[in-house]
Amino acid sequence: MSETEGVTITKTGAPGAFGGELLTVNFGPHHPSTHGVLRLIVDLDGEQIRRVKPVIGYLHTGIEKQMEALRWQQGVVVTDRHDYLSPPINNLAYALAVERLMGVDVPPRAQVLRVIMSELTRLSSHLVWMGTSGLELGAMSMLMYCFRERDTILDMNEEISGFRMHTSYIRPGGVYADATPRFLEMLEGFIYAMPGHIDEYENLLTMNPIWRSRTIGIGRLSPDDAKVLGATGPMLRGSGVDWDLRKAVPYSGYESYDFEVATSDDCDCYGRYLVRIKEMREAVKILRQALDKLPDGPVNVDDRKMLPPPREELETSMEAVIHHFKLFTEGYSVPPGDVYVAVESGRGENGCYVVSDGTHKPRRVKFRAASFVNLQALERMALNHMVADMIAIIGTADAVLGDVDR
Amino acid sequence: MSSRGPLFAENLVVERGISAGDAWVTVEPGNIRAALQSLKDDGYRLLVFLTCVDHLADASRKWPGRYELVYQVRDMESKDTIRVRAFVDGDPPRIDSVHDLFPPANWDERETYDLFGVVFSDHPELTRILMPDDWVGHPLRRDYPVGGEVVEFSEEHKIWQTAPEDA
Repeated sequence: MSETEGVTITKTGAPGAFGGELLTVNFGPHHPSTHGVLRLIVDLDGEQIRRVKPVIGYLHTGIEKQMEALRWQQGVVVTDRHDYLSPPINNLAYALAVERLMGVDVPPRAQVLRVIMSELTRLSSHLVWMGTSGLELGAMSMLMYCFRERDTILDMNEEISGFRMHTSYIRPGGVYADATPRFLEMLEGFIYAMPGHIDEYENLLTMNPIWRSRTIGIGRLSPDDAKVLGATGPMLRGSGVDWDLRKAVPYSGYESYDFEVATSDDCDCYGRYLVRIKEMREAVKILRQALDKLPDGPVNVDDRKMLPPPREELETSMEAVIHHFKLFTEGYSVPPGDVYVAVESGRGENGCYVVSDGTHKPRRVKFRAASFVNLQALERMALNHMVADMIAIIGTADAVLGDVDR
Repeated sequence: MSSRGPLFAENLVVERGISAGDAWVTVEPGNIRAALQSLKDDGYRLLVFLTCVDHLADASRKWPGRYELVYQVRDMESKDTIRVRAFVDGDPPRIDSVHDLFPPANWDERETYDLFGVVFSDHPELTRILMPDDWVGHPLRRDYPVGGEVVEFSEEHKIWQTAPEDA
Protein backbone atom coordinates (compact mmCIF):
# COMPACT_ATOMS: atom_id res chain seq x y z
CA MET A 1 0.00 0.00 0.00
CA SER A 2 1.27 3.38 -0.90
CA GLU A 3 1.17 4.85 2.60
CA THR A 4 3.98 2.67 3.88
CA GLU A 5 6.44 3.18 1.03
CA GLY A 6 8.94 5.90 1.70
CA VAL A 7 11.28 7.54 -0.73
CA THR A 8 14.97 6.80 -0.32
CA ILE A 9 16.89 9.91 0.40
CA THR A 10 19.87 10.06 -1.90
CA LYS A 11 22.82 12.37 -2.14
CA THR A 12 25.03 13.83 -4.78
CA GLY A 13 27.76 11.35 -5.66
CA ALA A 14 25.87 8.20 -4.69
CA PRO A 15 25.93 5.62 -7.49
CA GLY A 16 22.95 5.67 -9.83
CA ALA A 17 21.30 2.84 -11.71
CA PHE A 18 22.95 3.61 -15.05
CA GLY A 19 26.58 3.62 -13.98
CA GLY A 20 26.67 7.33 -13.23
CA GLU A 21 26.29 9.29 -10.03
CA LEU A 22 23.25 10.92 -8.49
CA LEU A 23 23.04 14.67 -8.69
CA THR A 24 21.04 16.90 -6.37
CA VAL A 25 19.64 19.87 -8.23
CA ASN A 26 17.90 22.94 -6.91
CA PHE A 27 14.87 23.78 -9.02
CA GLY A 28 13.56 27.26 -8.32
CA PRO A 29 12.44 29.16 -6.24
CA HIS A 30 12.42 31.56 -9.18
CA HIS A 31 11.61 29.45 -12.16
CA PRO A 32 9.10 30.36 -14.85
CA SER A 33 7.47 26.94 -14.79
CA THR A 34 6.64 26.75 -11.10
CA HIS A 35 3.77 29.31 -11.23
CA GLY A 36 5.15 31.31 -8.34
CA VAL A 37 7.99 30.82 -5.96
CA LEU A 38 8.20 27.08 -5.42
CA ARG A 39 11.57 25.51 -4.72
CA LEU A 40 12.14 21.84 -5.41
CA ILE A 41 15.18 19.87 -4.34
CA VAL A 42 15.48 17.14 -6.92
CA ASP A 43 17.80 14.14 -6.90
CA LEU A 44 18.57 13.11 -10.45
CA ASP A 45 19.98 9.89 -11.79
CA GLY A 46 20.94 10.96 -15.28
CA GLU A 47 17.69 12.61 -16.25
CA GLN A 48 15.45 10.50 -14.04
CA ILE A 49 13.97 11.84 -10.85
CA ARG A 50 14.79 9.84 -7.74
CA ARG A 51 13.49 12.23 -5.11
CA VAL A 52 11.56 15.50 -5.07
CA LYS A 53 11.35 17.60 -1.97
CA PRO A 54 9.22 20.73 -2.30
CA VAL A 55 10.33 23.65 -0.15
CA ILE A 56 7.56 26.16 0.35
CA GLY A 57 6.96 29.31 2.33
CA TYR A 58 8.45 31.90 -0.01
CA LEU A 59 5.06 33.54 -0.45
CA HIS A 60 3.94 33.35 3.18
CA THR A 61 2.08 36.55 3.96
CA GLY A 62 0.61 35.77 7.36
CA ILE A 63 -2.96 35.87 6.12
CA GLU A 64 -4.31 33.82 9.03
CA LYS A 65 -2.63 36.14 11.53
CA GLN A 66 -4.06 39.18 9.76
CA MET A 67 -7.55 37.71 9.92
CA GLU A 68 -7.30 37.65 13.72
CA ALA A 69 -6.45 41.35 13.77
CA LEU A 70 -9.35 42.42 11.53
CA ARG A 71 -13.05 42.64 12.27
CA TRP A 72 -15.37 40.04 10.80
CA GLN A 73 -16.46 42.13 7.82
CA GLN A 74 -12.93 43.39 7.11
CA GLY A 75 -11.60 39.87 6.83
CA VAL A 76 -13.34 39.37 3.48
CA VAL A 77 -10.73 41.55 1.79
CA VAL A 78 -7.93 39.32 3.05
CA THR A 79 -9.60 36.09 1.94
CA ASP A 80 -9.38 37.34 -1.66
CA ARG A 81 -5.66 37.18 -1.56
CA HIS A 82 -4.61 33.68 -0.56
CA ASP A 83 -5.74 31.79 -3.65
CA TYR A 84 -5.36 34.76 -5.93
CA LEU A 85 -6.83 33.03 -8.97
CA SER A 86 -10.22 32.38 -7.38
CA PRO A 87 -11.11 35.26 -5.03
CA PRO A 88 -14.94 34.91 -5.07
CA ILE A 89 -14.69 31.22 -4.14
CA ASN A 90 -12.47 32.10 -1.16
CA ASN A 91 -14.97 34.80 -0.18
CA LEU A 92 -17.76 32.27 -0.43
CA ALA A 93 -16.07 29.80 1.96
CA TYR A 94 -15.52 32.54 4.53
CA ALA A 95 -18.97 34.06 4.11
CA LEU A 96 -20.69 30.69 4.46
CA ALA A 97 -18.69 29.93 7.61
CA VAL A 98 -19.60 33.23 9.26
CA GLU A 99 -23.23 32.86 8.21
CA ARG A 100 -23.40 29.32 9.64
CA LEU A 101 -22.08 30.59 12.98
CA MET A 102 -24.58 33.47 13.01
CA GLY A 103 -27.44 31.32 11.77
CA VAL A 104 -28.18 33.58 8.82
CA ASP A 105 -29.67 32.52 5.48
CA VAL A 106 -29.06 34.72 2.48
CA PRO A 107 -31.88 35.57 0.04
CA PRO A 108 -32.31 33.43 -3.12
CA ARG A 109 -31.07 36.11 -5.50
CA ALA A 110 -27.82 36.40 -3.58
CA GLN A 111 -27.40 32.61 -3.69
CA VAL A 112 -27.73 32.56 -7.47
CA LEU A 113 -25.37 35.51 -7.86
CA ARG A 114 -22.87 33.64 -5.69
CA VAL A 115 -23.12 30.61 -7.95
CA ILE A 116 -22.65 32.79 -11.03
CA MET A 117 -19.52 34.39 -9.59
CA SER A 118 -18.15 31.02 -8.43
CA GLU A 119 -18.54 29.46 -11.85
CA LEU A 120 -17.07 32.48 -13.64
CA THR A 121 -14.11 32.22 -11.31
CA ARG A 122 -13.73 28.52 -11.92
CA LEU A 123 -13.64 29.26 -15.64
CA SER A 124 -11.08 32.02 -15.29
CA SER A 125 -8.93 29.89 -12.99
CA HIS A 126 -8.96 26.98 -15.45
CA LEU A 127 -8.20 29.38 -18.30
CA VAL A 128 -5.10 30.65 -16.52
CA TRP A 129 -4.11 27.07 -15.83
CA MET A 130 -4.57 26.01 -19.45
CA GLY A 131 -2.83 29.06 -20.86
CA THR A 132 0.26 28.75 -18.68
CA SER A 133 0.49 24.95 -18.84
CA GLY A 134 0.16 25.09 -22.61
CA LEU A 135 2.89 27.68 -22.75
CA GLU A 136 5.22 25.53 -20.68
CA LEU A 137 4.69 22.45 -22.82
CA GLY A 138 5.24 24.27 -26.08
CA ALA A 139 1.72 25.29 -27.12
CA MET A 140 2.61 28.96 -27.12
CA SER A 141 -0.59 30.29 -28.62
CA MET A 142 -2.76 28.80 -25.85
CA LEU A 143 -1.90 31.70 -23.58
CA MET A 144 -3.28 34.23 -26.06
CA TYR A 145 -6.55 32.37 -26.57
CA CYS A 146 -7.10 31.66 -22.88
CA PHE A 147 -6.29 35.13 -21.66
CA ARG A 148 -8.62 36.62 -24.28
CA GLU A 149 -11.60 34.90 -22.63
CA ARG A 150 -10.25 35.48 -19.15
CA ASP A 151 -10.21 39.18 -19.87
CA THR A 152 -13.92 39.07 -20.63
CA ILE A 153 -14.45 37.50 -17.21
CA LEU A 154 -12.33 40.17 -15.56
CA ASP A 155 -14.43 42.81 -17.36
CA MET A 156 -17.51 41.22 -15.85
CA ASN A 157 -15.90 41.24 -12.40
CA GLU A 158 -15.23 44.92 -12.86
CA GLU A 159 -18.79 45.58 -13.92
CA ILE A 160 -20.37 43.82 -10.95
CA SER A 161 -17.93 44.64 -8.15
CA GLY A 162 -15.65 47.45 -9.31
CA PHE A 163 -12.54 45.28 -9.13
CA ARG A 164 -11.01 43.12 -11.79
CA MET A 165 -9.25 40.53 -9.66
CA HIS A 166 -9.74 40.84 -5.90
CA THR A 167 -13.45 41.40 -6.03
CA SER A 168 -14.50 40.93 -2.36
CA TYR A 169 -17.91 40.51 -3.95
CA ILE A 170 -19.33 37.77 -1.72
CA ARG A 171 -19.58 38.84 1.91
CA PRO A 172 -21.19 37.52 5.06
CA GLY A 173 -24.86 38.42 4.73
CA GLY A 174 -25.08 38.47 0.95
CA VAL A 175 -23.16 40.07 -1.86
CA TYR A 176 -21.68 43.51 -2.37
CA ALA A 177 -24.21 44.81 -4.88
CA ASP A 178 -26.90 43.64 -7.22
CA ALA A 179 -25.99 42.63 -10.77
CA THR A 180 -26.29 45.53 -13.19
CA PRO A 181 -28.30 45.07 -16.41
CA ARG A 182 -25.04 45.47 -18.31
CA PHE A 183 -23.48 42.61 -16.33
CA LEU A 184 -26.36 40.32 -17.22
CA GLU A 185 -26.03 41.33 -20.84
CA MET A 186 -22.29 40.58 -20.80
CA LEU A 187 -22.95 37.26 -19.11
CA GLU A 188 -25.53 36.35 -21.73
CA GLY A 189 -23.02 37.05 -24.50
CA PHE A 190 -20.31 35.15 -22.67
CA ILE A 191 -22.46 32.05 -22.18
CA TYR A 192 -23.36 32.16 -25.86
CA ALA A 193 -19.74 32.44 -27.04
CA MET A 194 -17.87 30.32 -24.53
CA PRO A 195 -18.72 26.76 -25.79
CA GLY A 196 -17.25 27.73 -29.16
CA HIS A 197 -14.10 28.97 -27.48
CA ILE A 198 -13.75 25.73 -25.53
CA ASP A 199 -14.02 23.85 -28.85
CA GLU A 200 -11.24 26.09 -30.08
CA TYR A 201 -8.97 25.12 -27.17
CA GLU A 202 -9.76 21.48 -27.73
CA ASN A 203 -8.88 21.80 -31.41
CA LEU A 204 -5.51 23.15 -30.36
CA LEU A 205 -4.71 20.61 -27.65
CA THR A 206 -6.85 17.49 -27.36
CA MET A 207 -5.54 15.70 -30.44
CA ASN A 208 -2.29 17.64 -30.68
CA PRO A 209 0.46 14.98 -30.93
CA ILE A 210 3.02 17.02 -28.98
CA TRP A 211 0.57 17.77 -26.18
CA ARG A 212 -0.52 14.15 -26.05
CA SER A 213 2.98 12.71 -25.98
CA ARG A 214 3.98 15.09 -23.22
CA THR A 215 0.97 14.37 -21.00
CA ILE A 216 -0.30 10.82 -21.65
CA GLY A 217 1.18 8.37 -19.15
CA ILE A 218 3.02 11.16 -17.34
CA GLY A 219 2.50 11.78 -13.64
CA ARG A 220 0.36 8.76 -12.87
CA LEU A 221 -1.56 8.96 -9.62
CA SER A 222 -3.67 5.91 -8.85
CA PRO A 223 -7.13 6.46 -7.32
CA ASP A 224 -5.96 4.87 -4.05
CA ASP A 225 -2.91 7.09 -3.87
CA ALA A 226 -4.94 10.17 -4.64
CA LYS A 227 -7.37 9.39 -1.82
CA VAL A 228 -4.68 8.48 0.67
CA LEU A 229 -2.67 11.60 -0.08
CA GLY A 230 -5.76 13.76 0.42
CA ALA A 231 -5.78 15.15 -3.10
CA THR A 232 -8.96 17.00 -4.09
CA GLY A 233 -10.38 18.71 -7.14
CA PRO A 234 -9.20 17.87 -10.66
CA MET A 235 -6.27 15.94 -9.16
CA LEU A 236 -8.67 13.49 -7.55
CA ARG A 237 -11.22 13.47 -10.37
CA GLY A 238 -8.43 13.04 -12.92
CA SER A 239 -7.69 9.78 -11.09
CA GLY A 240 -11.22 8.56 -11.66
CA VAL A 241 -12.70 9.30 -8.24
CA ASP A 242 -16.17 10.79 -8.46
CA TRP A 243 -15.95 13.40 -5.71
CA ASP A 244 -17.12 16.98 -6.03
CA LEU A 245 -18.20 19.04 -3.04
CA ARG A 246 -20.86 20.72 -5.14
CA LYS A 247 -22.56 17.31 -5.42
CA ALA A 248 -21.37 15.65 -2.20
CA VAL A 249 -22.06 18.46 0.26
CA PRO A 250 -24.07 21.01 -1.74
CA TYR A 251 -23.93 24.65 -0.70
CA SER A 252 -25.50 27.84 -2.08
CA GLY A 253 -28.19 25.83 -3.86
CA TYR A 254 -25.88 23.74 -6.06
CA GLU A 255 -28.22 20.80 -5.55
CA SER A 256 -30.79 22.47 -7.81
CA TYR A 257 -28.47 22.70 -10.83
CA ASP A 258 -28.16 20.01 -13.42
CA PHE A 259 -24.50 19.27 -14.09
CA GLU A 260 -22.14 16.33 -14.26
CA VAL A 261 -19.02 15.70 -12.24
CA ALA A 262 -16.12 15.50 -14.66
CA THR A 263 -13.92 12.48 -14.08
CA SER A 264 -11.29 10.70 -16.11
CA ASP A 265 -9.87 7.22 -15.61
CA ASP A 266 -6.57 8.10 -17.26
CA CYS A 267 -4.98 8.98 -13.89
CA ASP A 268 -2.29 11.02 -15.68
CA CYS A 269 -1.63 14.60 -16.75
CA TYR A 270 -3.83 14.14 -19.82
CA GLY A 271 -6.68 12.91 -17.63
CA ARG A 272 -6.44 16.00 -15.46
CA TYR A 273 -6.51 18.13 -18.61
CA LEU A 274 -9.66 16.37 -19.82
CA VAL A 275 -11.28 16.88 -16.43
CA ARG A 276 -10.63 20.61 -16.54
CA ILE A 277 -11.98 20.92 -20.08
CA LYS A 278 -15.13 19.06 -19.05
CA GLU A 279 -15.45 21.22 -15.94
CA MET A 280 -15.35 24.33 -18.07
CA ARG A 281 -18.20 23.02 -20.21
CA GLU A 282 -20.18 22.13 -17.09
CA ALA A 283 -19.49 25.59 -15.64
CA VAL A 284 -21.03 27.18 -18.74
CA LYS A 285 -24.03 24.88 -18.31
CA ILE A 286 -24.45 25.99 -14.70
CA LEU A 287 -24.13 29.65 -15.71
CA ARG A 288 -26.88 29.18 -18.29
CA GLN A 289 -29.22 27.66 -15.69
CA ALA A 290 -28.35 30.27 -13.08
CA LEU A 291 -29.03 33.14 -15.46
CA ASP A 292 -32.35 31.61 -16.50
CA LYS A 293 -33.59 31.20 -12.96
CA LEU A 294 -32.14 34.36 -11.41
CA PRO A 295 -34.98 35.37 -9.05
CA ASP A 296 -35.92 38.93 -8.17
CA GLY A 297 -35.55 40.26 -4.68
CA PRO A 298 -32.95 41.58 -2.26
CA VAL A 299 -29.32 40.50 -2.43
CA ASN A 300 -28.55 40.99 1.25
CA VAL A 301 -30.04 39.88 4.53
CA ASP A 302 -32.24 42.47 6.13
CA ASP A 303 -30.24 42.75 9.32
CA ARG A 304 -28.99 46.16 10.40
CA LYS A 305 -26.67 44.52 12.94
CA MET A 306 -24.75 42.82 10.16
CA LEU A 307 -24.91 45.09 7.13
CA PRO A 308 -25.04 48.90 6.92
CA PRO A 309 -28.37 50.65 6.28
CA PRO A 310 -28.98 52.16 2.83
CA ARG A 311 -27.53 55.62 2.31
CA GLU A 312 -30.86 57.41 2.02
CA GLU A 313 -32.04 56.15 5.41
CA LEU A 314 -29.12 57.82 7.15
CA GLU A 315 -30.63 61.25 6.49
CA THR A 316 -33.98 60.53 8.06
CA SER A 317 -33.46 57.89 10.74
CA MET A 318 -31.44 58.31 13.92
CA GLU A 319 -31.48 54.55 14.43
CA ALA A 320 -29.86 54.03 11.04
CA VAL A 321 -27.10 56.46 11.98
CA ILE A 322 -26.45 54.54 15.20
CA HIS A 323 -26.34 51.23 13.36
CA HIS A 324 -24.02 52.68 10.76
CA PHE A 325 -21.72 54.09 13.45
CA LYS A 326 -21.64 50.86 15.46
CA LEU A 327 -20.97 48.76 12.39
CA PHE A 328 -18.05 50.84 11.17
CA THR A 329 -16.41 51.37 14.55
CA GLU A 330 -16.95 48.14 16.45
CA GLY A 331 -18.33 45.77 13.81
CA TYR A 332 -20.64 42.92 14.68
CA SER A 333 -19.87 40.05 16.98
CA VAL A 334 -20.39 36.40 16.14
CA PRO A 335 -21.68 33.86 18.70
CA PRO A 336 -18.94 31.65 20.19
CA GLY A 337 -18.34 28.37 18.41
CA ASP A 338 -16.45 26.93 15.51
CA VAL A 339 -17.43 25.82 12.06
CA TYR A 340 -15.81 24.33 9.00
CA VAL A 341 -17.20 25.05 5.56
CA ALA A 342 -15.69 23.64 2.38
CA VAL A 343 -16.41 24.76 -1.15
CA GLU A 344 -15.14 23.40 -4.44
CA SER A 345 -12.67 25.76 -6.06
CA GLY A 346 -10.86 25.26 -9.34
CA ARG A 347 -8.12 23.49 -7.43
CA GLY A 348 -10.10 21.35 -5.02
CA GLU A 349 -11.49 21.62 -1.54
CA ASN A 350 -11.15 25.20 -0.41
CA GLY A 351 -12.20 25.19 3.21
CA CYS A 352 -12.48 27.77 5.90
CA TYR A 353 -12.37 26.84 9.58
CA VAL A 354 -13.55 29.72 11.74
CA VAL A 355 -13.43 29.90 15.52
CA SER A 356 -15.27 32.68 17.30
CA ASP A 357 -14.90 33.62 20.94
CA GLY A 358 -17.92 35.90 20.83
CA THR A 359 -16.04 39.12 20.17
CA HIS A 360 -16.00 41.34 17.10
CA LYS A 361 -12.83 39.71 15.75
CA PRO A 362 -12.25 36.05 14.89
CA ARG A 363 -10.27 33.95 17.36
CA ARG A 364 -8.83 31.83 14.58
CA VAL A 365 -9.38 31.49 10.85
CA LYS A 366 -7.76 28.57 9.11
CA PHE A 367 -7.83 28.19 5.37
CA ARG A 368 -7.73 24.61 4.18
CA ALA A 369 -5.79 25.21 0.99
CA ALA A 370 -6.30 22.65 -1.76
CA SER A 371 -2.92 23.41 -3.34
CA PHE A 372 -1.11 22.86 -0.04
CA VAL A 373 -2.39 19.30 0.20
CA ASN A 374 -2.21 18.55 -3.52
CA LEU A 375 1.43 19.59 -3.65
CA GLN A 376 2.30 16.76 -1.24
CA ALA A 377 1.37 14.32 -4.01
CA LEU A 378 4.02 15.80 -6.29
CA GLU A 379 6.71 13.34 -5.28
CA ARG A 380 4.44 10.35 -5.87
CA MET A 381 3.66 11.62 -9.37
CA ALA A 382 7.13 12.73 -10.42
CA LEU A 383 9.16 9.74 -9.23
CA ASN A 384 11.16 7.97 -11.99
CA HIS A 385 10.03 10.44 -14.63
CA MET A 386 12.35 12.58 -16.72
CA VAL A 387 13.08 16.00 -15.34
CA ALA A 388 11.32 17.65 -18.29
CA ASP A 389 8.14 15.76 -17.45
CA MET A 390 8.13 17.38 -14.05
CA ILE A 391 7.11 20.62 -15.77
CA ALA A 392 3.98 18.89 -17.03
CA ILE A 393 3.35 17.40 -13.60
CA ILE A 394 3.70 20.68 -11.69
CA GLY A 395 1.56 22.30 -14.36
CA THR A 396 -1.33 19.87 -14.10
CA ALA A 397 -1.16 19.81 -10.29
CA ASP A 398 -2.14 23.49 -10.64
CA ALA A 399 -0.77 24.68 -7.31
CA VAL A 400 -1.21 28.37 -6.64
CA LEU A 401 1.66 29.32 -4.40
CA GLY A 402 -0.29 32.06 -2.66
CA ASP A 403 -2.70 29.36 -1.59
CA VAL A 404 0.07 26.99 -0.53
CA ASP A 405 1.87 29.52 1.63
CA ARG A 406 -1.03 31.76 2.69
CA MET B 1 -23.51 16.58 9.67
CA SER B 2 -22.84 13.17 11.10
CA SER B 3 -25.87 10.93 10.95
CA ARG B 4 -24.23 7.84 12.41
CA GLY B 5 -24.81 6.50 15.85
CA PRO B 6 -22.03 5.65 18.28
CA LEU B 7 -18.91 6.22 16.27
CA PHE B 8 -15.83 4.65 17.68
CA ALA B 9 -14.21 3.61 20.92
CA GLU B 10 -16.66 5.36 23.21
CA ASN B 11 -14.38 5.04 26.22
CA LEU B 12 -11.97 7.55 24.61
CA VAL B 13 -14.55 10.31 24.31
CA VAL B 14 -14.38 12.94 27.03
CA GLU B 15 -17.01 15.27 25.64
CA ARG B 16 -19.09 15.50 22.50
CA GLY B 17 -21.34 18.04 20.90
CA ILE B 18 -22.43 19.83 17.76
CA SER B 19 -21.16 23.27 16.85
CA ALA B 20 -23.06 25.10 14.09
CA GLY B 21 -24.02 21.75 12.56
CA ASP B 22 -20.58 20.12 12.80
CA ALA B 23 -20.26 17.08 15.06
CA TRP B 24 -17.23 17.03 17.33
CA VAL B 25 -15.70 14.92 20.08
CA THR B 26 -12.98 15.72 22.56
CA VAL B 27 -10.40 13.11 23.51
CA GLU B 28 -7.46 13.07 25.90
CA PRO B 29 -4.28 14.17 24.08
CA GLY B 30 -2.59 10.89 24.99
CA ASN B 31 -5.34 8.97 23.20
CA ILE B 32 -5.27 10.95 19.97
CA ARG B 33 -3.63 8.18 17.95
CA ALA B 34 -5.99 5.54 19.27
CA ALA B 35 -9.00 7.75 18.55
CA LEU B 36 -7.93 8.61 15.02
CA GLN B 37 -6.95 5.00 14.32
CA SER B 38 -10.40 3.78 15.33
CA LEU B 39 -12.04 6.52 13.25
CA LYS B 40 -9.93 5.50 10.29
CA ASP B 41 -10.96 1.86 10.75
CA ASP B 42 -14.53 3.12 10.89
CA GLY B 43 -14.24 4.59 7.39
CA TYR B 44 -13.07 8.14 8.06
CA ARG B 45 -10.08 7.81 5.78
CA LEU B 46 -9.51 11.42 4.79
CA LEU B 47 -7.92 13.93 7.12
CA VAL B 48 -9.34 17.17 5.77
CA PHE B 49 -7.16 19.41 7.87
CA LEU B 50 -5.31 19.55 11.13
CA THR B 51 -4.73 22.76 12.97
CA CYS B 52 -4.43 24.41 16.34
CA VAL B 53 -6.36 27.12 18.15
CA ASP B 54 -4.72 29.18 20.87
CA HIS B 55 -7.20 29.86 23.70
CA LEU B 56 -5.00 32.30 25.58
CA ALA B 57 -7.26 34.71 27.52
CA ASP B 58 -10.40 33.34 25.87
CA ALA B 59 -13.28 34.10 28.22
CA SER B 60 -16.05 32.59 26.09
CA ARG B 61 -15.94 29.37 28.12
CA LYS B 62 -13.72 27.35 30.44
CA TRP B 63 -11.02 25.64 28.37
CA PRO B 64 -9.24 22.48 29.54
CA GLY B 65 -5.96 23.66 28.03
CA ARG B 66 -4.44 26.56 26.15
CA TYR B 67 -3.82 24.83 22.83
CA GLU B 68 -6.64 23.04 21.11
CA LEU B 69 -5.58 20.59 18.40
CA VAL B 70 -8.32 20.15 15.81
CA TYR B 71 -8.49 17.17 13.45
CA GLN B 72 -11.25 17.11 10.87
CA VAL B 73 -11.80 13.68 9.33
CA ARG B 74 -14.20 12.67 6.60
CA ASP B 75 -15.70 9.47 5.30
CA MET B 76 -15.91 9.92 1.55
CA GLU B 77 -18.43 7.11 1.15
CA SER B 78 -21.11 8.32 3.54
CA LYS B 79 -19.95 12.00 3.41
CA ASP B 80 -19.92 12.17 7.21
CA THR B 81 -17.39 14.41 8.86
CA ILE B 82 -16.34 14.58 12.45
CA ARG B 83 -14.01 16.89 14.30
CA VAL B 84 -11.69 15.53 16.97
CA ARG B 85 -10.28 17.93 19.53
CA ALA B 86 -7.51 17.48 22.06
CA PHE B 87 -6.36 20.10 24.53
CA VAL B 88 -2.71 20.36 25.43
CA ASP B 89 -0.69 22.65 27.65
CA GLY B 90 2.95 23.09 28.48
CA ASP B 91 5.94 24.70 26.87
CA PRO B 92 6.40 23.34 24.32
CA PRO B 93 3.01 21.63 24.07
CA ARG B 94 3.38 18.04 22.91
CA ILE B 95 1.17 15.54 21.16
CA ASP B 96 1.74 12.36 19.15
CA SER B 97 2.14 12.66 15.40
CA VAL B 98 -0.43 11.01 13.14
CA HIS B 99 1.51 11.38 9.88
CA ASP B 100 1.65 7.59 9.41
CA LEU B 101 -2.13 7.21 9.80
CA PHE B 102 -2.95 10.11 7.50
CA PRO B 103 -0.16 11.13 5.07
CA PRO B 104 -1.55 14.67 4.50
CA ALA B 105 -0.91 15.31 8.20
CA ASN B 106 2.81 15.49 7.46
CA TRP B 107 2.81 19.07 6.20
CA ASP B 108 -0.11 20.10 8.40
CA GLU B 109 1.85 19.09 11.48
CA ARG B 110 4.92 20.93 10.28
CA GLU B 111 2.76 24.00 9.74
CA THR B 112 1.23 23.72 13.21
CA TYR B 113 4.69 23.33 14.72
CA ASP B 114 5.93 26.32 12.75
CA LEU B 115 3.07 28.66 13.62
CA PHE B 116 2.10 27.47 17.13
CA GLY B 117 5.16 25.65 18.43
CA VAL B 118 3.26 22.42 19.08
CA VAL B 119 5.75 19.54 19.03
CA PHE B 120 4.52 16.36 17.35
CA SER B 121 6.39 13.39 18.79
CA ASP B 122 7.78 10.93 16.21
CA HIS B 123 7.28 13.26 13.27
CA PRO B 124 10.01 12.40 10.73
CA GLU B 125 10.99 15.95 9.87
CA LEU B 126 9.57 18.53 12.23
CA THR B 127 11.04 21.71 10.75
CA ARG B 128 9.65 25.09 9.89
CA ILE B 129 7.66 25.04 6.67
CA LEU B 130 6.19 28.49 6.05
CA MET B 131 8.44 30.78 8.10
CA PRO B 132 12.18 31.09 7.42
CA ASP B 133 14.32 28.46 9.16
CA ASP B 134 15.99 31.01 11.45
CA TRP B 135 12.74 32.65 12.60
CA VAL B 136 12.31 33.20 16.31
CA GLY B 137 8.88 32.59 17.86
CA HIS B 138 5.65 31.07 16.64
CA PRO B 139 3.56 33.72 14.89
CA LEU B 140 0.04 32.38 15.31
CA ARG B 141 0.24 32.27 19.11
CA ARG B 142 -2.00 34.93 20.56
CA ASP B 143 0.83 36.55 22.51
CA TYR B 144 2.86 37.12 19.34
CA PRO B 145 2.30 40.72 18.21
CA VAL B 146 0.95 41.71 14.81
CA GLY B 147 3.18 44.04 12.83
CA GLY B 148 6.18 43.55 15.10
CA GLU B 149 8.61 42.45 12.41
CA VAL B 150 11.26 44.76 11.10
CA VAL B 151 11.28 45.39 7.36
CA GLU B 152 14.43 44.05 5.81
CA PHE B 153 16.93 46.56 4.37
CA SER B 154 15.23 49.42 6.24
CA GLU B 155 16.99 51.82 8.64
CA GLU B 156 15.29 50.09 11.54
CA HIS B 157 16.54 46.74 10.33
CA LYS B 158 20.11 48.01 10.36
CA ILE B 159 19.74 49.02 13.98
CA TRP B 160 18.12 45.74 14.94
CA GLN B 161 20.71 43.65 13.22
CA THR B 162 23.65 45.45 14.84
CA ALA B 163 25.19 44.23 18.06
CA PRO B 164 24.03 46.35 21.05
CA GLU B 165 27.43 48.00 21.67
CA ASP B 166 27.56 49.38 18.10
CA ALA B 167 23.94 50.54 17.93
